[in-house]
Amino acid sequence: MKLTNYLTLFAVLFAIVGSACTQSNNNNGALGGSAAEKVYVAPGEQDEFYAFLSGGYSGNLTVYGLPSGRLLKEIPVFSQFPTSGYGYSEETQPLLNTSHGFIPWDDLHHPDISQTNGELDGRWIFANGNNTPRIARISLETFETQEIIEIPNSAGNHSSSFITENTEYVVAGTRFSVPVPQRDMSIDEYKSNFKGAVSFVEVNEETGHMDLSFQIMMPGFNYDLGHPGRGESHGWFFFTTYNTEEANTLLEVNASQNDKDFIAAINWKKAEEYIAQGKFTTMKTEYAHNVYDESTHTGTSTMKKEVRVLDPTELPGLVYFLPTPKSPHGVDVDPSGEYIVGAGKLSASLTVHSFSNMMEAIETENFEGEAYGIPILNYENIVAGVVESAGLGPLHTEFDGRGNAYTTFFISSEVVKWELGSWEVIDRKPTYYSVGHLMIPGGNSRKPFGKYVVAMNKITKDRYLPTGPEMEHSAQLYDISGEKMELLLDFPTHGEPHYAAGAPAELIAPRSKKFYELEENNHPYAVKSESETRVERDGKTVHVYMTTIRSHFAPDNIEGIKVGDVVYFHITNLEQDFDVPHGVAMIGANTSELLIMPGQTKTFRWDPDRVGVWPFYCTDFCSALHQEMQGYVRVSPANSNIGLSWSLDGE
Amino acid sequence: MIASSLLILGLFIFPMWNILLKAPQYPDGIGMDIWINKIVGTNPNDIQNINLMNHYVGMDPIPTEMAEFVVFPWVIGIMSAIGLGIGLIRKRKLFLVWFVIMSVLGGIGLYDFYSWEYKYGHNLNPRAPIKVPGQSYQPPVFGYKKILNFEAYSYPSTGAYFLFTGMFGSVVAYFVDKKEEEDDEA
Amino acid sequence: MENLIRKITLGLGVLLLCFCTKVEQQDSASLENNTPLGQASVVDEDSEPNILQIAIRSEDHSTLVAAVQAAEIEHILVNAGPLTVFAPVNSAFEALPEGAVEDLLKPENKAKLTGVLTKHAAPGSYDLAGLKKEADRGRRLYMADGSYLTITVEGDDIFVEGAKVIASVQTSNGIVNVVDKVIL
Repeated sequence: MKLTNYLTLFAVLFAIVGSACTQSNNNNGALGGSAAEKVYVAPGEQDEFYAFLSGGYSGNLTVYGLPSGRLLKEIPVFSQFPTSGYGYSEETQPLLNTSHGFIPWDDLHHPDISQTNGELDGRWIFANGNNTPRIARISLETFETQEIIEIPNSAGNHSSSFITENTEYVVAGTRFSVPVPQRDMSIDEYKSNFKGAVSFVEVNEETGHMDLSFQIMMPGFNYDLGHPGRGESHGWFFFTTYNTEEANTLLEVNASQNDKDFIAAINWKKAEEYIAQGKFTTMKTEYAHNVYDESTHTGTSTMKKEVRVLDPTELPGLVYFLPTPKSPHGVDVDPSGEYIVGAGKLSASLTVHSFSNMMEAIETENFEGEAYGIPILNYENIVAGVVESAGLGPLHTEFDGRGNAYTTFFISSEVVKWELGSWEVIDRKPTYYSVGHLMIPGGNSRKPFGKYVVAMNKITKDRYLPTGPEMEHSAQLYDISGEKMELLLDFPTHGEPHYAAGAPAELIAPRSKKFYELEENNHPYAVKSESETRVERDGKTVHVYMTTIRSHFAPDNIEGIKVGDVVYFHITNLEQDFDVPHGVAMIGANTSELLIMPGQTKTFRWDPDRVGVWPFYCTDFCSALHQEMQGYVRVSPANSNIGLSWSLDGE
Repeated sequence: MIASSLLILGLFIFPMWNILLKAPQYPDGIGMDIWINKIVGTNPNDIQNINLMNHYVGMDPIPTEMAEFVVFPWVIGIMSAIGLGIGLIRKRKLFLVWFVIMSVLGGIGLYDFYSWEYKYGHNLNPRAPIKVPGQSYQPPVFGYKKILNFEAYSYPSTGAYFLFTGMFGSVVAYFVDKKEEEDDEA
Repeated sequence: MENLIRKITLGLGVLLLCFCTKVEQQDSASLENNTPLGQASVVDEDSEPNILQIAIRSEDHSTLVAAVQAAEIEHILVNAGPLTVFAPVNSAFEALPEGAVEDLLKPENKAKLTGVLTKHAAPGSYDLAGLKKEADRGRRLYMADGSYLTITVEGDDIFVEGAKVIASVQTSNGIVNVVDKVIL
């Protein structure tokens, strides 16, 4: 053979192999491309969805991009956060105030995005604190916590912070029933003496401000999760209960006895009527309401003293119990509002109730009994269907808007796709490992965006490089656009995500704020230009009115501070440019650094405890001369007569 | 001719010139609009941000007061009034004279612009934190120039187009008027 | 020379093939098969053994382990639990009617087998004392398949639905109570 022949042979070989190669890639792509392609968001490109994952015991909310799984931000909500100074700055400390005083931590569970007409509107996201019962509202323009309201008569605010379909209310059901009002009594007397408060917090349509409207004092069960009715069932709210045995010890056994617990269906429109008719009692209590004002960049805490209470045992038509097998955890309402899915966590099956059946049973008074005067509907009459042997340990269900539901099973460690109406299992995919909650963007609204589901797993084990005994939890992303689910991606999550909420990027991104207008800064200690910067003494208290701009503090030399003074540094960032924060930290300050956004003012307190000359500096690499951004404070003895002086470059 | 005189008043309503700076950290660009009586940012905080960057290399802040801001409006105002006058009396040859004067004034204006830019880009504070030997920061009068990591674009803005149209209009007016007269004669 | 060219050509062809294989991206099917047994695939020689590992190490439970593997429910026995498994010994399976075990192990009977096995698992931790307590209170034991089993105490012996508990082992994720009968 001649050389040319070999070259021809090679060319032919190349062509064959090449085409085979292309073809085999295409074959992979027959299912819609490879997993890698589907999650690849090229550098400079942005994700399709926002995902807000609860941080559980971190107390915070994390923001991820989907499908890439990129971590975009950690939003401090219930926990002090040195990264920004949240909960450390004088302005944000009031946000963490409660009737128990300043509590710098909570267990954040169930974020929910505000809705209008049952569809995501992307204005705010609500989140609940489980430990010291609280609900927070976070702005989706600034991605900052704007408001926190404490929930009185409650303990373990678990069935929260779910919203009604026009964000009329955000709810809070107590996980632990407690004596109401709290009093000194024997724990053994729990049964029939403890109460479970379910709270409805009104949300102002314009400002988002929250106001505890009323509480329904329910029997002493454990209220686990909740979801609103929508469409036809708008006006109703559904809560799961467990421990209807009312056990007060070794609940893992004693609260697992009843064959069925309840889903409590609460008619909140009816509650509004009773409130309007004055059929409530006003109860003395105490709870904090904390509001952050974006104009003054300052939070305030007010202590509220009263709450209106409705008694469901006295008010007919307010609450009905839907018997549901074995300690139901999740209660999820499909996009139409007709189906109410109860996930009995010890059951191998899923129970789906029908709202129209429920209404009919109520109308015909088809009750199988009552509990504490609250009618129990007849299970056989209200159930729409059962998803048989779907898996072990069902927890949560979300919907894709195409007639399918997706349920997590903790024990059998899988996501199961099933069809509403036929109750047939369509597909199941393993999770790695032991999935808790799952999230489809808008998956608990009238309009889900059924492209992806995120499964949030409780157990990580060997999924990533080991990091010692403690590891981050792991999430998995599945493509659900086809008949079968398709695993795309693993990514670690922060804290313990209990639930998540997601929304299309175009709903939120365009309204994201770039910086705060300096002109609109009404902080009482703000200064708008370097010429206004100064230091003022009021007895032992010293206020420093300071500014930052690339790349200096003004003033940066301060003298006349004395041991025993209390010094407040009020720092205004004069920048008016996207993404030019400055930070500040002072040696020996018993607090965190502060990160100050352009146009914002933040304050930290410093108690100089010894004589000397002490530096402060910018903690954020703000500019080319960041490392030069520093200053000194001279601290003189308490009895010194050195007067206050301040300067920048000798001026 | 009357239209020409009024068109140049467009300089009072629209900016004359625009300098746009692009860099990786400013993907949308930041810029300044030069009016006959002021310089403002293309976006609300652009001037502050340009000054902030420029102070590192020792450039002066963009002026808020300049002799030109006082003189230019008067010159344009007076030239517009004169144009209006000669338009009304319809002295055709004066149209051309007006055009020539405007062109000379325009040339002076551009030279003034260049010399301000030269001073702005070369007159650097010796105490500047960043010194690049031999580097000046003068933006172009017209067109594109790369200044360190910034891409600077300098082009006439709406006001200038009104000015050009007005000036061109005076020449057109001259010929139209001449043609009408010839037609009348014919 | 010709040989050399031939070799080069073949070499290039092989290289091309290799390259082709390499650029083929991982599809989701292979992603899901990378740990076919779920959490049961986790290699961990250091922690206390879990229910599955205890069962595998016990020679007397080889039939049970084979059944668990046939039902592909290994991952359930390594789950965080807590789970109480009533583990019939091999002789318990042998006592079943002729062919019953073989029948259950057939692939088409996987669902039935899973049902039988999950009837041997209760959510929660029930050691001997715990079982006695439940019996004393007259409670039945709720099993993972949804059924309830009766606990009886005769002297020192505990029976679950007639199956005698002959040993109890604490594991990292629950309790294995060894029983002498298969509970059907």
